[in-house]
Amino acid sequence: MTIKTLLLAGGTLLGSAAAASASGFQVNLGGQQNIGMGGVGVGLSLDQAAMFYNPGALAMVRENGVQVGANFALARGTYMSSNGGPERHLQPLVVTPFNLYASFGPKEGKYKFGVAVYTPYGSQLRYADQWEGRYALTEINLQAVYVQPTFSYAFSPRFSVGAGLTMLAYGSANIQRDLPLPTGPAHLTLDGKADFRVGYNVGIFLKPTDKLSVGISYRSQIEARLKGGDVSLAGLPAAGSPSAGAINSQFTATSFDSTLPLPAMAAIGIGVMPTDKLTIGLDASLVMWNTYRTLDFAFSGNNGNAGPETPANSGLIGGKNISSSKRYYQDALAFRLGGQYKATDQLILRLGTAYDFAAVKDGYVTPETPDADRVIGTAGVTYQPTPHLGIDASFQFERFVKRTQTQDDLISNGTTDRVAGTYRTDIFIPGIGVRYSF
Amino acid sequence: MNQIFKYSVPALGLLGLVLGGCQPTLDSPAASPGSANFATYVSVGNSLTAGYADGGLYREGQLNSYPNILSQQFATVGGGAFVQPLFTEAQSNGSGYLRLAGFANGSPTVAPVTTKLAVRGLYTPPLKDIPVAPGVTIPFQGPSRPLYTKFTEPVNNLAVPGILMADIQTPGYGSVAGNPYFERITPDANPYQTYLQRIQATVAALKPTFFTFWLGNNDVLGYATTGGASPSSVITNADTFKLKANRALAVLTSGGAKGVVSTIPDVSGIPFFTTVGPVLKATLTAKKVPGLVIMTGAAPGGPASGNRKQIGTADIRDASGGRQLFTLTASPFLGLLGQPTAAPWRYIFAQSNLPKVLFAPYLASIGVDTTAAFGVSAGNPIPSAFVLDDVEQGAVATATTAYNSALMAAASAHGLALFDANSFFRSVAANGLATNGVNNTAAYVSGNLFGLDGVHPTPRGYAVVANEILKAINAKYGSSFQGVNANDYRGVTFP
Repeated sequence: MTIKTLLLAGGTLLGSAAAASASGFQVNLGGQQNIGMGGVGVGLSLDQAAMFYNPGALAMVRENGVQVGANFALARGTYMSSNGGPERHLQPLVVTPFNLYASFGPKEGKYKFGVAVYTPYGSQLRYADQWEGRYALTEINLQAVYVQPTFSYAFSPRFSVGAGLTMLAYGSANIQRDLPLPTGPAHLTLDGKADFRVGYNVGIFLKPTDKLSVGISYRSQIEARLKGGDVSLAGLPAAGSPSAGAINSQFTATSFDSTLPLPAMAAIGIGVMPTDKLTIGLDASLVMWNTYRTLDFAFSGNNGNAGPETPANSGLIGGKNISSSKRYYQDALAFRLGGQYKATDQLILRLGTAYDFAAVKDGYVTPETPDADRVIGTAGVTYQPTPHLGIDASFQFERFVKRTQTQDDLISNGTTDRVAGTYRTDIFIPGIGVRYSF
Repeated sequence: MNQIFKYSVPALGLLGLVLGGCQPTLDSPAASPGSANFATYVSVGNSLTAGYADGGLYREGQLNSYPNILSQQFATVGGGAFVQPLFTEAQSNGSGYLRLAGFANGSPTVAPVTTKLAVRGLYTPPLKDIPVAPGVTIPFQGPSRPLYTKFTEPVNNLAVPGILMADIQTPGYGSVAGNPYFERITPDANPYQTYLQRIQATVAALKPTFFTFWLGNNDVLGYATTGGASPSSVITNADTFKLKANRALAVLTSGGAKGVVSTIPDVSGIPFFTTVGPVLKATLTAKKVPGLVIMTGAAPGGPASGNRKQIGTADIRDASGGRQLFTLTASPFLGLLGQPTAAPWRYIFAQSNLPKVLFAPYLASIGVDTTAAFGVSAGNPIPSAFVLDDVEQGAVATATTAYNSALMAAASAHGLALFDANSFFRSVAANGLATNGVNNTAAYVSGNLFGLDGVHPTPRGYAVVANEILKAINAKYGSSFQGVNANDYRGVTFP
């Protein structure tokens, strides 16, 4: 199986967490064993998923192997307008963040090569029809797939380093909203693919004693550049109707450019192995979201709605060439704690918890990322019929802290392009993976 | 391995769905009345309170009146029925109104709606002898006016379009010769009942526990919309205003009712005054016309009398500055600038309902020479009625300030909530108003908040007014009304 065929196969179940599984639209679902332990992994060297959590730890993973995992994330979100009215529910969507790892190297050698494919950012949300925020957003689907060749080198059994090239192999954004036209709501769809971009990740792994390990890792930011995405419009007044001239001439754009940051992340982790059977991990991570200041769209092209094409009547959406919306994200910390217990040679049990701080500040919450501080609980189990084969099941539950913003908050922040009200979201993420080592 | 995958994937998916069945719920805070009682609500006011829109009173506007929206919120805390003098479905267009017919060169064009009217007959004023020359009079029949289908059941919404604070103790204001909207709801048995007496009768009969009071806009609006040119539309004396406001509020609070008093918005921010000037300014600037000649005030007299005024193009108000405001009614005539024309004067004269033989003497009395170039010569200036100039704006502002201090003092004296419509509409004019991600402004037609007459709100405009009033009520009485989603209410209807 080459990376390419895997990617193509992945396309059918490709996805991102429904309402991303960590702050902002970050997804921290790197490997099923780690997920069962609250998402820890920077200070551990459990399996090939080390390439995601800490490439420096890969050389400490003794066996070569291939592993694949998939998660089935279901977000249940509820919104209520500050003007009351019915609860508005997110439509239930199951999306499937996945991960795939393969590593190769001499069995007793000091180095390892690996390739990782994973989905570190993404979000898919579809709001209820007619919901109050329809003119801000009706639907969004952000996807990002990284492919990461990795190299890790162990200077000694106590110290290893690693680095990877994080390649944005696939990135896409589909953002939809209704337009409040005087002739009734119309619908705008922006759909674009990201250019191929390359970043890196690096990590250091230390094992001062057999019972203690420490890791530090860093993944660089990649700017997902959407160039020449498609603008589609539906529900404008029919050509020839009395209002068509006045309204349609404000909507001439056929394409858009935009940039979304996929932010850098730094993490530190500790692993404690008090007995052969028990492993405990503790991670702290910082996602550098404050780089996400505004979401800007530059519109271009001309669909002829304003008559013969001129520079002045080209690239308009609502009469403007650009739209800019404040995000003003803040760097987001997360703390994770988890452990596993090897009950028998065939059975490993896991539990974990995490607390993720919101990247979105008060009064800046948008429907596309109804972010909030999150309390996370996880559990997992591994069945190993042979020492070479492991089947890992995991379950992650996230409860978002209820978050309310008022219209006055929006006015004072200059963020009235979104809605006031209260958001509450839960995410359920069962997942399964298979590991084969040789 | 494939086997395991095959079975576990659907199983896990199912598990997700089952667990996902737990939809997070949000406890909607139940609306509470706080310290006020909303059982019986009565509204007192003028066109704004009646739901008047697009230059007319019609059923859709009435259904979207801010008192009707308020009453629906009050119903959640035990508010009872709220009766409005609704036009019937069969007569749903009421007085008739303006609709947006289309666009000509990008500018909106309006047309009157004349079907399904609620006109029950016409009132014809008595014959009058009118002097046409020294010692000569002719008998003159003034134009007939429509009378509307009566609604004589008790109503909770006492609003009367057109009423001034100054009018509330005028006997006969509700007769056929008076205000047709008040006449419509005045009991046949008591045709000379004044508006204040009607409030008294309503308080006695319905025993309201809560009221809204938004009266007095027309005491300055009539003067303003006629550019200070109409001898009959003068600014009400501030003392008269205060006296009558206090009388009305004394009656309304006599049974212990609580309520909201609204202030009078500064009229210079409404589209009626802000739409034409900026376009005119741009045109004049492009054509390098340095300024215009206007008439000011209501006094007769020729070019030498002091009622002519030069205004610079730069002094026309637009976003960049300037003071002079042009009315929406001026719009059809500004294309004639620089040409000899009598058309603007014929339009102005027609408003006075005088016989045509008096047109020439009228022009003579104000020294207008219709063969002179319109708008750029003292002989044929822009009529006073088309411009609210800086001096007239000063008079409007002074009166508005005086009225509002009287209203605020009265609200405070009676311990009532205050909706400061003046500061609210000023903020809307300056910054617009976002409602659930939709940007609304005070712009004509495109702004969603003001209807086709440029003065009265659209249903969206009335909905945001209702929400603001609810905020004032919540603040004063500790109630917890949430208001409505204003986007559920339309702006201007496009064809």
